[in-house]
Parts: sequence; structure tokens; C-alpha cells
Amino acid sequence: MLPTSIAAPAPKSSDTRRALADYVSHLTEAIARWSQDSPDEAVQNAEFERLAFDLFALQFEANPVYRAWCRSRKITPATLPSWRAIPGLPAVSFKEADVTCLTANDATTVFQSSGTTGQIPSRHFHDGLSLAAYESSFVPWFERCVLSHASGMTWIPLVPSRAAAPRSSLAYMIDGLLERFAPVDFVRGGRVGVEGEWNLDVPVLLSALESAGRSGRPVLLMGTAFNLVHLIDALDAIGRRFRLPEGSQVMETGGYKGRSLVLTPSELAAGLFRTLGLTPQGIVTEYGMSELSSQAYSRWPDSGGPGVLRFPPWARAIVISPESGSEVAEGETGLLRLLDLANVASVLCLQTEDLAIRRGGDFHLLGRRPEAESRGCSLLSA
Amino acid sequence: MILPELFLADRPAGAPTTPALIREACIAIKRNRSQWLIHRRTQDLIEWIAYTAERWRQPDHVFRRLALEQGPAETGFGRTTLEAGLDAFFAGLTAEALSAWVTQDLGELRRLDEFCAPMGELRQGRLALARGPELALHIAAGTLPNSTLLSMVASILIRSAQFVKCSTRGSLIPRLFAHSLADLEPKFGGCLEIGVWTGGTEDLEAAAFAEADCVTVHGSDETLASIRRRMPASARMLGYGHRLSFGVVGAEMLSTYSARKVAEKAARDITAWNQLGCLSPHVFYIEDAGVVSAEGFGDLLAEALAAREAVDPRGPLPPEQAAVIAGRRSLHELREARARAAHDEAIATPRGVFFPVPDQGTRVWSSPESTAWTVVYEADPRFHTSCLNRFVTVKSCRNLQDALHHADTIRGKVSTVGLAMTEGRAAEAAPRLAAWGVTRICQIGRMQEPPVSWRHDGRPVLGDLITWTDFET
Repeated sequence: MLPTSIAAPAPKSSDTRRALADYVSHLTEAIARWSQDSPDEAVQNAEFERLAFDLFALQFEANPVYRAWCRSRKITPATLPSWRAIPGLPAVSFKEADVTCLTANDATTVFQSSGTTGQIPSRHFHDGLSLAAYESSFVPWFERCVLSHASGMTWIPLVPSRAAAPRSSLAYMIDGLLERFAPVDFVRGGRVGVEGEWNLDVPVLLSALESAGRSGRPVLLMGTAFNLVHLIDALDAIGRRFRLPEGSQVMETGGYKGRSLVLTPSELAAGLFRTLGLTPQGIVTEYGMSELSSQAYSRWPDSGGPGVLRFPPWARAIVISPESGSEVAEGETGLLRLLDLANVASVLCLQTEDLAIRRGGDFHLLGRRPEAESRGCSLLSA
Repeated sequence: MILPELFLADRPAGAPTTPALIREACIAIKRNRSQWLIHRRTQDLIEWIAYTAERWRQPDHVFRRLALEQGPAETGFGRTTLEAGLDAFFAGLTAEALSAWVTQDLGELRRLDEFCAPMGELRQGRLALARGPELALHIAAGTLPNSTLLSMVASILIRSAQFVKCSTRGSLIPRLFAHSLADLEPKFGGCLEIGVWTGGTEDLEAAAFAEADCVTVHGSDETLASIRRRMPASARMLGYGHRLSFGVVGAEMLSTYSARKVAEKAARDITAWNQLGCLSPHVFYIEDAGVVSAEGFGDLLAEALAAREAVDPRGPLPPEQAAVIAGRRSLHELREARARAAHDEAIATPRGVFFPVPDQGTRVWSSPESTAWTVVYEADPRFHTSCLNRFVTVKSCRNLQDALHHADTIRGKVSTVGLAMTEGRAAEAAPRLAAWGVTRICQIGRMQEPPVSWRHDGRPVLGDLITWTDFET
């Protein structure tokens, strides 16, 4: 059996934290520059690679699970040929182990994936530093992908508050965005039920939608696909119809993973049009995971559901052939591997179980492979 | 060669199938049966089937050639896998085996021809005649053709008109078999119909159910339940749900020499039909008192699978299925990597906040740069259902009883247990396995090759299809 009695050298918590802090300050500075329009691509690529190498070396040192994985792939910071060769830690690792560079004392927050009863949730540990990196990633890309298309909206989050759902990375993000962009002008339409499930606050939502109609002020509805299905069902049940003001938007996240209530994108679009008068151009899909810190967005084309999803410049998607483990050709299907420079306290490179079609550096999401365990924010909605 | 359009499934892709079409087809094959099939004698039918099977084993047989040419694209099985599977099936379909089957299930070969009885019944003054249903409907499962072909043979022996409903990817081989039967006896071809539609298409299935008096269904528990709900009272349903199988290797077979031989046989059981059948092994339990350990057996099995892959490649998989294998592999590779790191670095990975470091061994052997085959050794003895397509787990056990204890989660769902043991120990094991609920016991290496007369899921296949008329003289 394995020798567990040999004492491990104590992780040099303070050294790691200092190095991570240093990295985060470089990252934040890079994000600020990359958020500006049209940076020089070659410069950006070189900088991306340098940051990726730095973070890889840091995490290899401080994260024993990731180090074990990289060693088994025969990749170490000394032998890493390019950022594309950084090993993707299987997403299931977050259920198997504590995938973290932090010590138990340092971790202040843990995000958990949603899951149905009996499933093991994945756990993603954070401290103040990694949460700051999370925030420095989600704010500018949301601003670019969602807010640049409309402003002066009343925000209607359909997810509970950060305080009510402290283990939800989505609730954390949406509250962070509210604080930043709409500290006052929002109406919360989601709450946590007695069994921990996510519910809609229907009376509040009805009055918010009504007053939006009266004032002509556009709204931004934000929630999981399940939240939206429930909203549509609730409005259908009482026969209420709204026509949201011009410029209104819906941000949907999370898909419908593994639940019996399944709507195709065109059914969702039809439901939103029927109940809220919202056209597909007003819908934005967000793709994120509790194990990551950056998100991809896609604004829906005129019909047919989400288009190509795009991560910010500080995160990259690679589509990997499940057969060979190498990158697929343009237009081919494979498993999504994500490299996220803002994921500082766990791993920067995650091998997901989501199938996607490669579209340049972006991707078209096909969703979870059928056998993969159901997980994702959508399932918290009852 | 372009096949003549004998069956609904022969029509070009996209040709509509309607309830009316199915009803008409059923009425036609029932009429043809009453003219051409019902008066035939069992012996003649056996010879016809056996001759057809013999032809299938000739390398230049036109239907065999078509099956091997079009099969890989249509069914997903590689040419060698398909060839091996079909050869094994048709080799068993001899006149002798078919006669033995009828005699086994019905007591007398002539039971379907005339009132007769074996001696015991005769002494009691009893005769009996067996009659097949007028129309048997077979709802076939997936892509693996054996059970469908066997249902077709059974229906001919009992003189039933038959409608075989196939899945889109599963229709080629049954269709070619039907053509080969019709090629010898065109009139009999008129008693047989093959249709293709997506399982669960209720209006089409209702039309077929209304005409059939016996329906066999191979499929998942959900499929079975759904069809049972929709079955009219006039029809009898024989359901064959999904089953799984595993192997047990006795310590006495685990010398360095014998273990390699057993691993080679086990590899054949795994590669046969790409492990997709109910008789395919998911796990091999290895007794821990042998010279070769379970982990050592994993090594040998990996070698054997690599050798099989060279001559009998698994063939390409659609990305979503390859992704399932990749995902399963990565979980086990993670466990292996963590255990190895803890060992190699002699570092006790800091005890997790929630998760302990895995302290049980895992090893993974896999085909390089492909998902063609995977062997996982796990010290955790609990049964591990495979994601198939040549993905197998090896586990250690103290003895058979211990293996059954760890496989308790699948009790009642097990078809075959393959054994590699001395005859004496196998004979001791058999009653225990029977008491535990296993319906078939065979040697490792023969798991995917049951004889034609095998009792599918423990049921007599012909015996369940027919209806008796007893005559007390």
C-alpha cells in the first residue's frame, strides 16, 4: 500500500500566496489592456503564453492533485513546450479531490456545482485573491458581451442573492455585476426554497415586468435556462402576456443538463417571444462552470439558438478529439478543454465533459456527453 | 448487387412508413403463411435453415459479402468483428443443432407436425401438438444481430409469419439474412417482413401490435415497460431486458502460463461484438490466491487486447461514445496518478478538507492515441458496469462467493458468468451461481457464443413462443 506515514514538507503557504498575488496583479493589468479594443495579436499571444507558463508553474508547485496529473502526462514546467500542451485536469477531479493551491485555513469560499440528490458536487475553493481574479474576469467580459448592446436597463436576476446561495458561483457573479453596474436599479426575482432549491418570486416578477411595460424602460433578465422555463410556465399558467420594452435582454446560463424538463433552444425562444414578446436577438447565452473563473458568451442569431461561444482573450477553448487526445480540425466535434488564466487558486486548464464543434478559436456547444453525470447551475432550480 | 425490394426496409431511405402500410404488410404475410408455411414439416424447415446457414459460411456467398462490405459503415462493427460474430453464429446453425433445439424445448422433433409425445407422456395416454402464433412481431434491439437472427429462425421453425422491426443501424444483417432465406425459397420470403422505424413511434407500433398475436421485445427496461403498456390484450409479449455478464478466474488457472491463455480467451469475449451484447463481460474477478494477481492479470489482458486490436480492430466510434470512454478513463487515470504521486514523491498529499487521498490501487492500460481498448484494475472490489466498446475492469476476489457478494448490485440482471476453473471447481460453482440467479454459465472464451438452443435469460425460446393442444387419448 501507499506510504502515507512519511511526513510531507509543509506547503509554504506564505510563499505561494505571495507568488499568486504577484501573478494576479500581472493578470489584472493584462486584462485591463486586453479589454480595450484591437490589441496587437502577436503581443497578446506572447503575453498570454507567458502568463500561462507562470500560472502553470505556480499551480504545479502548489496543487498536489494537478501535479500528480501533470506528472502522469509527463509534463512539468521544465518540459512544457507551449501553452497548448498544458494538461487539462478532468473536471471530475473536482468531485474526487480538493483541487486547490490553498490550504484548508486559507480557503474562505467554496463554490459547488449543482447536482441532483445523491450526486457528489464538485468543489472549487477560493480565497480573497482568487475571488478578486474571478471578479476581474467576469466584469469586463460581461460588460463587453451583454452591456455593450444596451444600457439603462432594469436588471431582473432570477437567481438568488449571494447571501442566500453562498456556494453558487453564478449567484456570486451576478451579485458582483449588480454591485458594479446596477446597485440600485434591480428587482430580484429568485430565491432559495426550504429544500435549497431555487424558486422564482412570481408576484415580484409580475410587478417588475408590469412596471417595465408601463415605464418603457428595458429590462435585463438573468437566470439559468430552468429559471426561464419556470418563468414561461408561470406566465402561461396564469395566462399573462407581456411585451418587454425595446432593448430588453435575457441572459441565460447553464442549459438543461440532465433534467426531464427539456426545451430545445427554439422552444425556449418561442416561449420567451410568446410570454414576453422578446425576439431571439435579445437572448445571450452564457457558458460557465463553477470550476472556472471566466465565461463564454454568445448572442443568438435570428433563429436556431445560441451561436458560437467566445471566451475573453484571457481564456481559451481547445476542442480535443476524445479518440486521440489531440486538437480536432476546424468544424470537427470533440471535448472542450478550457484554459483560463483567471482560475488562479485551482487549475488553469480544465478538461470538460462537454462536446463542442471547433469554430476557429471559438466553439459551438453540443452539450454534455450523454453518460456524463448531470451537473450545472440549471439543476438548482426546482 | 442491388437487393430486390422484398421488404419495407429495402425501400430507399426516406420512403414513408405508415400504419396502413404496416397493417397491409401484416395481412399479406399472414395470408402467405397460411398458404406456404403452415403445412411444412419441421425437418424440411430445419434443412432449409441449415443450408442457408451453410451458404453464409462460404466466403463468396453474396449476402455474406454484402454484410461484410456494407456492415462496417451501417453497423459500426469492424469487418473482422462482424465476420467473427457471423461465423460463430452460423457455424452453430446446423441441422443437428436445430433438431436438438426443437427436441429440447418441445420434447419431440415432430411436435409441430402432428400429435405425438415422448414416452413418459405416451404412457399417461397423452399426445400434444405445438402451434406457433399466426404472426410473431419481433422488436429488435440495437445493432447486435444475433438475437434478432435467432428470433427469425425460431419463428420459421414454428411456422409463424413474422414482422421484424429493426432500428435504423440494426437492419442490415437481419435484412440480408431474410434475403438469403427468400433466395432459396421465395415463397417463404413472402411470410416475412422487415420494417425500420424509430422505436417508440406509437402509431406504427400500434398498427403492428394489433395484427400480431405474439410480440418479442429486446431492449431496455424502459422500452419493455413502454411497450407493455401499449400492448393490446389480444397479444402475448415476451420481453428480454438488458442483461450484463462477467467472468471469474480461479486461482488454479493463474499460473504464469495459464493466466496468459485465460487472458487471451477473455480478450476474445471482450472484442466479440465490441462488448455490446448482454453476454459480453464487464468485469473479470480474479481469485487472489493465484501466482498471478488481479493487477498482473490486467497486464496480460491489456497485452491480449492490444494483440486482438492488431487483427480485429474495434473500428471508429462517434465522438459522443468516444467521449464516454475518454471520460471514464480520465477518472481512473486521475486515481492512478494520485496514488502513484503519493507513492513516488513519498509525499503524503495533504489530507483533503473533504476527501481523503485514495489509498486503494488503480491502474489503467489503454490503447495509445485511441479509445480502442481499455483495461482498468481497481482494488475496490465492487462491480463496475462498463461503458462498453472494449472497456473492461479487473478486480480481485477471495473466491466465487466473495465475487458474488461484490456483484450484488447487479443481481437479477446477470445473464452469463464465464468461468476459468478446473472442471471440478466449475461444477461446485454452478449450483451457487444458479442459486444467485445466473441464467448461463460457460467457459471464458465462449461467452459470446451460446449454442442455438440456449435458454435466453433462462427461458426456453421456442417453448415460450408456442401454444399447446393436449390430446388425452
